[in-house]
Amino acid sequence: MIKKFITSLPIHLTVIRILAAVTAAMAISGEAAAQPGVQDLMKKIEELQDMTTDIRARVDLTQTKVGQGTKKTNMLYYRRDSDDSFLIVMIAPESENGNGYLRVGDNFWMYRRNTRTFQHINRDESIGGSDAKADDFEKRKITELYDPARDASGKDILSPENLGAIPVYRFEVLAKVNDVDYPKKIYWVRQDNGLPLKEQSFSLKGTLMQTAYYMNYTIVNKKYVPVKQLFIDEFEKGNKTLVEISGISTETLGSIFNKAYLENLSK
Amino acid sequence: MKFLIMISLRNLLRQKRRNILLGSAMAFGVLILVLATSFSHGISDIMFNKIVAYVAGHVNVSIREGKGQMISIFRDRDRLVKIVKEKTGDKLKDYDEGIGIFLRAIGNGKAENMVLVGVNMNKTYSDEQRKEYEESFHMIEGMFRDLLSTDVENPVILSKEKAALLNVKKSDTIRVRFNNIYGQTQSARLTVTGIMSNDNIFMQGVMFVEIKNIKEMMGYRPYESTAIHITLKNPQADAVQIADSIHEALKPGPAFIAADLSANGIRAKATIIPYMGNDDAMKKIISSSFTLISGKMDDVLMKSGVMVSDRIAAKLGLTPGSKMEFRYKPKFEAKIIPHSVEIKGVFRSDMTTGSDTVYMHEALFYPKFYDRVPDLTADVKDAFLPSPEAPFYKALGTEWVLLDRTRDSDEMRKKYRSISKRKIKAAAVDVNSMYESASDVLKLEGALNIITFGAVLVLFFIIVVGVINTLRMTIRERTREIGTIRAIGMQKKDVRTIFILESVFLTLFASAAGTILSFITMWLMSLKTFNVIDNPMGILLVKQHLYFLPTIGGVVKNILLILAISVVTAYFPAKRAAGMRAADALRHYE
Repeated sequence: MIKKFITSLPIHLTVIRILAAVTAAMAISGEAAAQPGVQDLMKKIEELQDMTTDIRARVDLTQTKVGQGTKKTNMLYYRRDSDDSFLIVMIAPESENGNGYLRVGDNFWMYRRNTRTFQHINRDESIGGSDAKADDFEKRKITELYDPARDASGKDILSPENLGAIPVYRFEVLAKVNDVDYPKKIYWVRQDNGLPLKEQSFSLKGTLMQTAYYMNYTIVNKKYVPVKQLFIDEFEKGNKTLVEISGISTETLGSIFNKAYLENLSK
Repeated sequence: MKFLIMISLRNLLRQKRRNILLGSAMAFGVLILVLATSFSHGISDIMFNKIVAYVAGHVNVSIREGKGQMISIFRDRDRLVKIVKEKTGDKLKDYDEGIGIFLRAIGNGKAENMVLVGVNMNKTYSDEQRKEYEESFHMIEGMFRDLLSTDVENPVILSKEKAALLNVKKSDTIRVRFNNIYGQTQSARLTVTGIMSNDNIFMQGVMFVEIKNIKEMMGYRPYESTAIHITLKNPQADAVQIADSIHEALKPGPAFIAADLSANGIRAKATIIPYMGNDDAMKKIISSSFTLISGKMDDVLMKSGVMVSDRIAAKLGLTPGSKMEFRYKPKFEAKIIPHSVEIKGVFRSDMTTGSDTVYMHEALFYPKFYDRVPDLTADVKDAFLPSPEAPFYKALGTEWVLLDRTRDSDEMRKKYRSISKRKIKAAAVDVNSMYESASDVLKLEGALNIITFGAVLVLFFIIVVGVINTLRMTIRERTREIGTIRAIGMQKKDVRTIFILESVFLTLFASAAGTILSFITMWLMSLKTFNVIDNPMGILLVKQHLYFLPTIGGVVKNILLILAISVVTAYFPAKRAAGMRAADALRHYE
């Protein structure tokens, strides 16, 4: 029973975590300027992340797992930061088609198409008993979560490097609050515009757990949206997820963040 | 009486074939009855003392705090343990911190989802407990005390099935990924020090580590505890009463921080008191009970809301928007950490609010309070605590929220649903007995009892029909004999007693034979080994054998019950026989 339960988690878990990461990275301005100083770089990224328009996009995930082959997951994603709302409707695989998630303010629901039921989930609770929590979706500022990591002399761990042929700043941050997924992260951001190109996430013990590559960006309403990202599981070698975003729209979404709309959309 | 007993015994021997047949039927019934009740007792024993005790304890005290009550943590372990010991007294068999985590484990090229459970190997176990654990977990390689080894990193014991899945052997390393109590990703390396085989399917996916190691991995500090699972000597009799008394003892006191405040280079002492602000009714109480001199009540009622008394504001030069630092001496930690907050309002103080006070929204207060709990017992002498008669007292926070006791799992589920809607910011403490937390297991036990009762009913039917039929035939055959003995002076009651004694002796001998046969049958059935790996029915076995638990009381009770039925059944035909007139009986002819 436990085994069956756990093995059913990764789809939701991965999808949701990746969506959270996608959301966080979805609005990085092309006007960012290189800033020598971790706090400044973090603040710059933070300022540029403040999305004011609604978003609608199609998200395609290609998950590769060792021994399980490749699995494709597609979904429609709607988000409005102004009132902390989002809505996800699964399109594929067939077994997930029509299922969805809805968050409005402090309320978070999971919708199951088969039973046509909404399960109310506390925004701070795990989703379906997994370690994916609703507050993964909270709009939280990077400077409120992380502080620059400092070396023995008290200086920020920040260095200019080349990532391939691209000049970047590499900097480390450490969590200053408990409730973050990864206590330590390393970013590689472009020197010319501050776009993150690579991100490594570490466990509390310092083990590298995940590497994210932001492979391609597009500009929407003067904001950079990473439309192709690769998440590599460094703990369980061979697992990786490719995220592709398409059909991005920033038109006002209207009153779609409600149960009736999700239920209707799921039909 | 001796004479009557002798006549009864002699009469039994007169109809050997008939009585042997009836006695055999009764003995078979007793055999089934003793067998069924012993099996049912065995299963009850497994459920109460193995499954329920391992999974949730006969009574468990759970504590959840943090966003959505996701963190199972009690910040003062000694206080909780003291209450548990006081309230259980000599009824306590054992208590443990119930700590287990779901994780992803990677062995030699293989990965698997597992459960890691902490066991306390530093505890002294009784011979009975040791025997019980040995029966449940058979070590193939290594020993349980190897979990205490400090030569290797995080010693772990796992089942042979999972060891095969992960492709690991003794001394190999397993890497694991999981989330600690705060939700942070954590990784660790475990060293296989033992491999076990296990009949209990629930335990086959479990890896065991020493509790100290798992608590450290999970982010617990030495003085913190997770849920406490209590095992009782007599759970069926005491679980509810113990749960009620622990619940009573866990009633929370007021939450407060006796703090040193500082702002603008000035310092002052004050009591920081939390107020509840996620509930409209509570917000109304606060807004109607406090008069703000400056600032807006709407801001005060937000999650970052802090209001200081006019006296403190004047002393420290505080106005809405200004920053204030506070610090206090934690109970367990040496390091004192300053916290900075922004003032949202200044209230007019009076006797009820206190003049050296700061009121803080619970969402802001509790994370700081729990992260480093103050010594409330010591600090109370320096603190101002509002009177319970204060109009806003109901809206003030307590050390934790004690959830109501429930009587079954349905009530418990309703309680949890309502809790998630209440959005409590304080920790939620809950006390459950096995009748709530393990009701599904107990339902299974109840079903088995019903099956046993059904078997008993069938048996009763056999006995009743057999005895009545035999007695009717006997009386009919002996009618003239009854007439003779009545004619030579035997009293009616003696005639009646003879027939009843016949039934009693027949039942007694049959019961004795049936009981002996049942013990032989149980012994034979216990010899058979069942290979039920990955089969849920394995929980009904001990060491892969059927488990019977006959009790002297149970067997005696069964025999007495059958005797009583036999006597009642024999009474009426015997009475009819005794009631015959001697002349009529002598004239009887067939």
